Amino acid sequence: MATQSNGLLSIRNLKIDIPKEARILAERMLKDLENSKRPYLEAVKTSLDNSFYNSKVGYLTPGDKVVRTELNVSSVQKLARVVFILEILLRNLETSQINTKREIYYICKGLIKKGPKYKPLDFEDQDESDSIIDFVCDMLRVYREELNCFANDKGGQTYSQNLIVTETMADGTKATVDLSTLGTAPFMPKNKPQALKLKSKKKIDFALIVESEGTANTLVGMGFTRRNNCILMGAGGVPSNAVRGWCKLIQDELAIPMYFFGDLDAYTMQNIFRTLKAGSAASLIRNADFSAPDVKFLGVLPDDIKRYDLPFYKVKESDPAEARALKKAKDALENDPFFLDKKNKGVADICRWLLKEKVRCEQQSYFSVDPNDPIKTEKIILEKIKRGSYI
Amino acid sequence: MARNEITKSSTAEYFAKNLQQVGFSSPTKAVLTTLKEAVDNSLDACEEHGILPDLYVEIQKIGVGSSKNTDLVKVVVEDNGPGIEEKDLAKVYGEYLASSKFGKGQCSRGQQGIGISAATTWAQITNAKGVVVISKTKNMRKAIKAQVDVDIKSNTGVLKNKESLEWKKNHGVRVEFLMDGRIQLNGDGGLVTYMEGTVLLNPHLTVTFKLADNDKQTIERVANISPEIPESTLPHPHTFKLGEFITHATLFGKTSLSKFLKTGFSRVTDQPIKDFVKNGLPKNLLEKPITSLSQEEFKKVFTAVQNTELMAPSTKSVLTVGEESLSKSIARLGEIDFFAVVTRKPRICDFKPVVVEVALARFKNRNQEADGPVQLLRFANRVPLQFDKSGCAITWAIESVNWKSYGLQQPKDSLPTGPYVFAVSVVSPFIKFKNASKETIDASEELVAEIRLALIQAGQKLSRHINKEFKEADLERKLAHIEQFGPILVEKLAFLVGANEARRKRAEEGLKKILGRDSKELIGELEVATMKLTAQKAKDRKTMGEEEVETSSETAADLNESSGKENKPKGTKKK
Repeated sequence: MATQSNGLLSIRNLKIDIPKEARILAERMLKDLENSKRPYLEAVKTSLDNSFYNSKVGYLTPGDKVVRTELNVSSVQKLARVVFILEILLRNLETSQINTKREIYYICKGLIKKGPKYKPLDFEDQDESDSIIDFVCDMLRVYREELNCFANDKGGQTYSQNLIVTETMADGTKATVDLSTLGTAPFMPKNKPQALKLKSKKKIDFALIVESEGTANTLVGMGFTRRNNCILMGAGGVPSNAVRGWCKLIQDELAIPMYFFGDLDAYTMQNIFRTLKAGSAASLIRNADFSAPDVKFLGVLPDDIKRYDLPFYKVKESDPAEARALKKAKDALENDPFFLDKKNKGVADICRWLLKEKVRCEQQSYFSVDPNDPIKTEKIILEKIKRGSYI
Repeated sequence: MARNEITKSSTAEYFAKNLQQVGFSSPTKAVLTTLKEAVDNSLDACEEHGILPDLYVEIQKIGVGSSKNTDLVKVVVEDNGPGIEEKDLAKVYGEYLASSKFGKGQCSRGQQGIGISAATTWAQITNAKGVVVISKTKNMRKAIKAQVDVDIKSNTGVLKNKESLEWKKNHGVRVEFLMDGRIQLNGDGGLVTYMEGTVLLNPHLTVTFKLADNDKQTIERVANISPEIPESTLPHPHTFKLGEFITHATLFGKTSLSKFLKTGFSRVTDQPIKDFVKNGLPKNLLEKPITSLSQEEFKKVFTAVQNTELMAPSTKSVLTVGEESLSKSIARLGEIDFFAVVTRKPRICDFKPVVVEVALARFKNRNQEADGPVQLLRFANRVPLQFDKSGCAITWAIESVNWKSYGLQQPKDSLPTGPYVFAVSVVSPFIKFKNASKETIDASEELVAEIRLALIQAGQKLSRHINKEFKEADLERKLAHIEQFGPILVEKLAFLVGANEARRKRAEEGLKKILGRDSKELIGELEVATMKLTAQKAKDRKTMGEEEVETSSETAADLNESSGKENKPKGTKKK
C-alpha cells in the first residue's frame, strides 16, 4: 500500500519531484508576467465528461481535458490564492509537517491575520480553501496525501478472527495486529499512507463491506465473524480514501471474494458502490490507488424484495435529496462511463429499475424477514453468497 | 300537511345573505371594501363632472364590535364632487342595482350599483345603523344630512334622521360608516396598499388620509386635468353568448331585428347584415319584431352573426393614465431609485377594447425584503385589486415572463423577487372579473398575452438600469481585484522562484499592462450600458412630451427580436 521515502511514508512511487515541479510552474508564470503575457494554470478536468472506464483497468481514469485558468481581472483572485496555498503546502513538504484541510484553512487565516496585505485573500469558509487545495492537486497531478494534507479518518471499522496486519512504521519498526485479539474493538485503516502487509491465519472465504457501520457492528456482535472465516467491514456511508485504499489492499493481497451490502437506492448505487468499486470523477487522478474493482454488489437486490418480502417505500420526489439522487442516477446512466460499460450492465439495470419503480429498500429491511431470529440477516447474506445472488 | 312554498326574495335580501360574494367575507375585507366602494363612487362622480378630486379619508377603531373578534370601526370618505340630490340619496346608498353606469360600456370604476349598498347593509347588519351621509349640490344652500338604511325586504333605501346643516363646502359628499371590522394597514390586503394604489393610478387626485394610528398624510395631485372619460361604447356582438344575446334583445322592445342589430351593437351596419344573411340568417326575419322571434330563430340569427367576420370594436372607449402622469405619480409613493413605465396602445382582446399600463419601480428605503417577491399592485379600471392574486390574469402574465433576462431573480413559475414594485393596470369598459367582488381579472389567453407584452417592454427598460448598475458594480469589484490580488500574486511567485527585485518589478509592470487592458474593456462595457440607458431616457422624455399615448405597435415577434439573443425572454407557460 505504501512505500517509504525521506522518513515519511508515501502511497505510491511518485515519479515527479513536487517542489521542483511547483517551482518550474512558478517560474513560467513569472516569466509570462515579465513579458506582459497572461500566465495560466492548467489542471486535470475532474468531471464525468473527462472520465474513462475500461473494465480491464477497473476504475475511472482521466482523459485529456484540462481546466485552464488564465490571468484576467476575474481570475486574479484565484491565481493569487493558488500560489498562496501552494507556498504553505511546499513548506509543509520541506519540513515534513502534516495537516488536515481544516488546519490549512486556519493556517491561511493565521498568515492573513499576521500580514494585513493578504487580507483580500481571506477565505470566508473552508470550502473556499478546500477547492484551492484540490485545484493544486489536480494541477500538479498529485494526491492530496502527497502534499502532506490528510483527511480525518472515517469509516472502515474492520473485524476478523483470521486476519493479521503487519504495519511498518516510518522509522522502520514493525507492529503486528492480530484482529482476533482486539476484543470488541475494530481495526481501522488511516487516511494517511500506511505500510501494511496482510496475512491470514487460515483461509479467509470472503470480505463483506456493509454500508452502515451500525449494521456491521450488529452482525459482528451477533457472532458473524466467529461463525465465518471472513473479514467484515463497515464502510460508514460514502467510502473515504482510507476505506477505498484498505479494500484495494485486501483485494490485492488476499485475492478473496469481496461483497458490498447496502441500501437499494440511487444514492448507494452511484455514490457509495460505484466509488468503492471504480473511484469517482472528483478523484480521477487517484482512483488507481483508491478503488477495489473486484467488489460485487450483494444487495439489497430488486429480486430480494420479492423473494424475502422486504418492506420498501416510495421515493419522495418532494424530498430534494432524493430527487437529486434520482436525477443524478438518470444522468449517470446516460453519461457515466462506469454505468455505460457492458461489464456493469447488472448495476446499470438496477439503476434503471430504481428510476422506473421510484422505490427504495434499506439494508436493515432484512431484519424484518424473521424478527424472532436474531441472525436471520446473516443467514440471508450467506445464502445469497452461496447462491451467487450478487452482481 | 305543510307545503313547501316557492318564495321570491328581493335583490337586497339576496345580497344581505351573500355579502361575502361582494367583498365582505371577513372583518378586515369589510373595512377595505367599504373604503374602496366609497372612494370609487367619489372619484367616478368627480370625473363625470370634470372636477379635480380632493378627498378626505379617515379610518379609526372606536370601540369593540358586536361580533366576536371585531372592532367597531369608523370609515369616513369625503369628496368635493357634485353632490347627490336628496331624492337620489336613498337609491344610491340603500338600493341594490341602482346604478347610472350598469351595462353602459364605460371605463368607470363602479359598474353594477352593488358595492356601496352592500357597505350600507354591512354597517346595518353589524351595527344596526346604515350610512350617515352629508350631501350638498351647487344648487343647495344648505347641506342635507341623513342616515340611509336598506329596507332589505323591498330593496329600497330609507332616509332617517334627516336634517339640513351649514357645510363649509360648496358641493360634495361625506359618508360615514360605523361597522364591525378589523383594520389591516399593510400587506396585500392592507389599507395603506390600497391608498398607495389609488394614489398611483389617479395622478389628478389630492388626498388626505388618516389611517388608524398612522400619521395623517396629504398627497398632492401631480396632474391638473381631470381624465376625460371616453364615450360609452356599444358591445361587440362577438362577445355575447346566446342567452345574453336574447336577454339583450328584450331591452329593445318591439323593434325589428335589423334595427336591434344595428342599434344594439357596435360594428353592425348594412353591409354586415347582408353578410349575416349570406351566413345563414333567414332574410325574412330581418324586419320581424324581435318580440315575436322564437328561440329557434334567435339561435339561427346568433349563429349567423357569430360566423360572420366583423370589424374589431373601436378602442376609443378606453382611457389611459399615460406614461407621463404615471411617471410623476409613482414618485408620490416614495423616493425612487429607478423606474420604467409603459402605456400600451389600446388593443382588442376577446373582442373587447383593452389598454394595459405597467409601472415597474425600485424605491429607496421602502423596507421591502431583498429576496421576497416583488410588491405587486394590480388594477382594473384604476381600482386596486387586493385579493386572490394567484388566479388573476395580471399575476399569470408576470409569472410567464422570464425576468432573469432583465436582471431580476425569479423562482420558476413565480413572481420575480427583489425590492421592486410592479404596478399593472388593465382598463376596459368590459373587464371580465372572476367574481362579483371584482378581485381578480379572468385570465383569457389574449389578455394575458397583451399584459405580457407590456411587461416585456417595461422589463427591457428596467433592464437597462439594472444592467448599468451591474456593470458599475462589476467594474468596481474587478478594479479592486487588480489592486488587491495583483501584488500578492507577483510577490508569491517571486518568492517561490527566488526572483530578484528587478524581476519582481518587471512582473508587476507586466501585470499592470495585462489587467489594464481588461479594465479598459470593462470601462467600455459600462459606457455602452450607460449610453443605452441615456438613449432610453431621452426616448422616454420624447414620449412624455407628446400628448398621445404610446404609439408603438410592437408585436410579440418584434419584442422577441428586439430583445436580442441574450435577453430573449424564454417565457414559461403557465400550467
